[in-house]
Amino acid sequence: MLNRQVAPKLTPIKSIEFAVPEVVEIKKGIPLYWTKNIANETAKIELHFHAGTTVKTPIVASLTAGLLIAGTKKKTAVQIQHALDAVGAYYDVSVSQEQAIVTIYALNSYLLQAFDIFQEAFMHAAFPEKELKELSNERQEKLKVQLQKVNVLAQRKIQQVLFEETPYAQVISQGDYLTIRRSDLIQFHQENYLNGLAKVFLVGNLSNDDMQAMKNTCAAFAGTQAKPVKGQFSMKSHMVHEDKKDALQTAIRIGKIMFNKTHPDFIPFSVLNTILGDYFGSRLMSNIREDKGYTYGIGSYMMENTHFGYFMIATEVAKEVREATIQEVKNEIERLQTELVPNEELELVKSYLLGQLLKAADGPYAMLDLFSGVELHGMDISFYNKYIQKVQEITAEDIREMACKHLDWKSLSIISVG
Amino acid sequence: MIHFERFKLENGLTVLFHKEASTPMAVVNLLYDVGARDESEEKTGFAHLFEHLMFGGSVNIPDFDGPLQAAGGESNAFTSNDITNYYDVLPAHNLDTALWLESDRMLSLAFTDKSLEVQRNVVIEEFKQRYLNQPYGDVWLELRPLAYSKHPYKWATIGKEIKHIEDAKMSDVKAFFKKHYHPSNCILCVIGNFELDYVKERVDHFFGSIPKAKKTSRILPLEPAQDRFKSKTIVRNVPADAFYYAFKMPERKHPGYYFADLLSDIMGREKVSKMYVDLIKKQKLVSEINAYITGSIDEGLFIITGKLNEGKTFSELDKEIWKIIDHYCSTLITKKELDQIKIKLRTARAFQDQGLLNRAMNLSFFELLGDANGINEEHEIYQSIQAEDLRTFAKQMFTKKNGVLLKVKKKKHA
Repeated sequence: MLNRQVAPKLTPIKSIEFAVPEVVEIKKGIPLYWTKNIANETAKIELHFHAGTTVKTPIVASLTAGLLIAGTKKKTAVQIQHALDAVGAYYDVSVSQEQAIVTIYALNSYLLQAFDIFQEAFMHAAFPEKELKELSNERQEKLKVQLQKVNVLAQRKIQQVLFEETPYAQVISQGDYLTIRRSDLIQFHQENYLNGLAKVFLVGNLSNDDMQAMKNTCAAFAGTQAKPVKGQFSMKSHMVHEDKKDALQTAIRIGKIMFNKTHPDFIPFSVLNTILGDYFGSRLMSNIREDKGYTYGIGSYMMENTHFGYFMIATEVAKEVREATIQEVKNEIERLQTELVPNEELELVKSYLLGQLLKAADGPYAMLDLFSGVELHGMDISFYNKYIQKVQEITAEDIREMACKHLDWKSLSIISVG
Repeated sequence: MIHFERFKLENGLTVLFHKEASTPMAVVNLLYDVGARDESEEKTGFAHLFEHLMFGGSVNIPDFDGPLQAAGGESNAFTSNDITNYYDVLPAHNLDTALWLESDRMLSLAFTDKSLEVQRNVVIEEFKQRYLNQPYGDVWLELRPLAYSKHPYKWATIGKEIKHIEDAKMSDVKAFFKKHYHPSNCILCVIGNFELDYVKERVDHFFGSIPKAKKTSRILPLEPAQDRFKSKTIVRNVPADAFYYAFKMPERKHPGYYFADLLSDIMGREKVSKMYVDLIKKQKLVSEINAYITGSIDEGLFIITGKLNEGKTFSELDKEIWKIIDHYCSTLITKKELDQIKIKLRTARAFQDQGLLNRAMNLSFFELLGDANGINEEHEIYQSIQAEDLRTFAKQMFTKKNGVLLKVKKKKHA
């Protein structure tokens, strides 16, 4: 007879198989990582450029990225798009603080053709004035919508205070669209794209010849122009509230500059981060959503850049409970600094993290993303084996120590808008 | 081709199993045949509120998420106007944990007052965060009742108004559970590196003893045919005037559904569609424009939406939208364009099918429509569509009498 009150026995995860991509050198210091033996007909190529928002200004980086395949002397934007559509390819560009990533998705048999269409448009990109106007108009309208959202305003504000007086603090404002010139884009393209390819990730069962063809093409724009440099942040904490009339909720951001995977505290701190706010059963969710009902969601997370990282707590709450929410966040952090995490909770979080790592390594696309996460810091896949071991060894005392060392309440900036 | 096995338990639970040998993970997906369309008009938002309560502990297990997380897994759910779908993704060797948790909450919930009170607040905050505190957030709260006069699609999944959620009572919760949460109202799908016999045995072990209940038949009010074009203007604090044209389109099982879907892909295609080129590039009338379908099981909506550029008017736009519509009603799409759309669909499909969770949800959804194997037939249906099919379909659907228009007008600041 089934006794429903007894949980099934669990089998812990002891090890995970991590697959490493093949490495091909495009030029000295510029690698192409290739994952093959895919069980289906999908393929993708990802080109990483040193062309993020901190390289010059966010407006230049963002509009250049948006117009990479928007016309050459011989072809219009519409013609180029038609050519990509004819091989069933999808094209995407994303820009972050330090890099811009171009991704092309296609069926395996069409990837090389799609890549050729892209590279021809990209190498000869003319940044037509008309296309620039259109994109600026569209982006300006989108920005107007964004700037009415409390979560966006709070996010921009905390970025400005954490990274004060560095390029990382820059955000796009409406006025930027009035001053932008076509020549700025052309120059940025020349310096940071035609001479800025940092690495390539390739997934797909391509023939060796196809891979070589892409590699050779990539060599023409490989370069190390604008590698992120190590900056200095003031580390001062700020407390700002901005009132927004008519807002029904208040967005709260609490954060500070932190480290990335290269720091010895990274793994223990990420366990602490999970306990505090990075899974559904976290302290913040349990208290502020599931006990008090102040919010639809609250979470904490860690972001990483080349030379540093940052830690952030984010939520939107009912307007009248802004202060109560901040107080509860403070209480939760103080509890972690003074009390030991009960064994059951710690074991749960360890199993959860290892289960999530197993999932993150599942399948060629996921695995390559996981690899990319260590490659960025010049580390190799053994990081994850170390991670499994360190997570298993961590104690409640370690967690408390991490909370005291890195989450001093006075070191955190607190922004609220709404 | 996605291969699957199907079996049924004596209590009426339908089970689908798809073997995927290459993954160390397992997916357990439960689709309950209940959505916002099954609510009464005085108590809307209930199917969704109920989805939240399903995480508040069950009759024998006080906490749903904890044991699943301890097994290295995680869980979530969504509610639509048609269905409520729950899923668990966890390491395959801990499959039992997901089956244990899901079977217990199918058996019965804990029904604590605290859980109801907290989740009411959480959902109210969700209502504000997603629908009220965003520019254009309340568009669907306005568009649905404009497009539907009788059918329950006239309210959004989140509910008509916050008050309905505030008023939810424990007796309502219990009655809702009894009516909709039982084996014969659910499709369970398991994916992972297992053998069929093993899955049968484990599913029967956990779900077999749940009592059978009768599946109630669904009788929804039919939406009467519209007799005239309807339009409504709302004034909001938004940065630009926005428009939402909505035309009634066939239900999910009708062949016309696929015509509508493909036509929306063609009309809404970024950068190259006629709508994009004419209205954005040539006339500079709008800053963005798109077309898509709602994809509902009953009669759905074909939407054309976008935002006007500063200084342009709704009436200028209206003239141009109807010109575009007339174009699709009178001119055949070229073979080249149709081929492009079809190969793009092939690519998109190949990428979607990679995801385990996506496969589980799709298999379950097609089973609800009548046969899980629909997942393998759909591709052929799209590939067989001809330009003439689309033109004939466009002519039928794009009539004034079949459409509504919601205009969101920018509030003038004093």
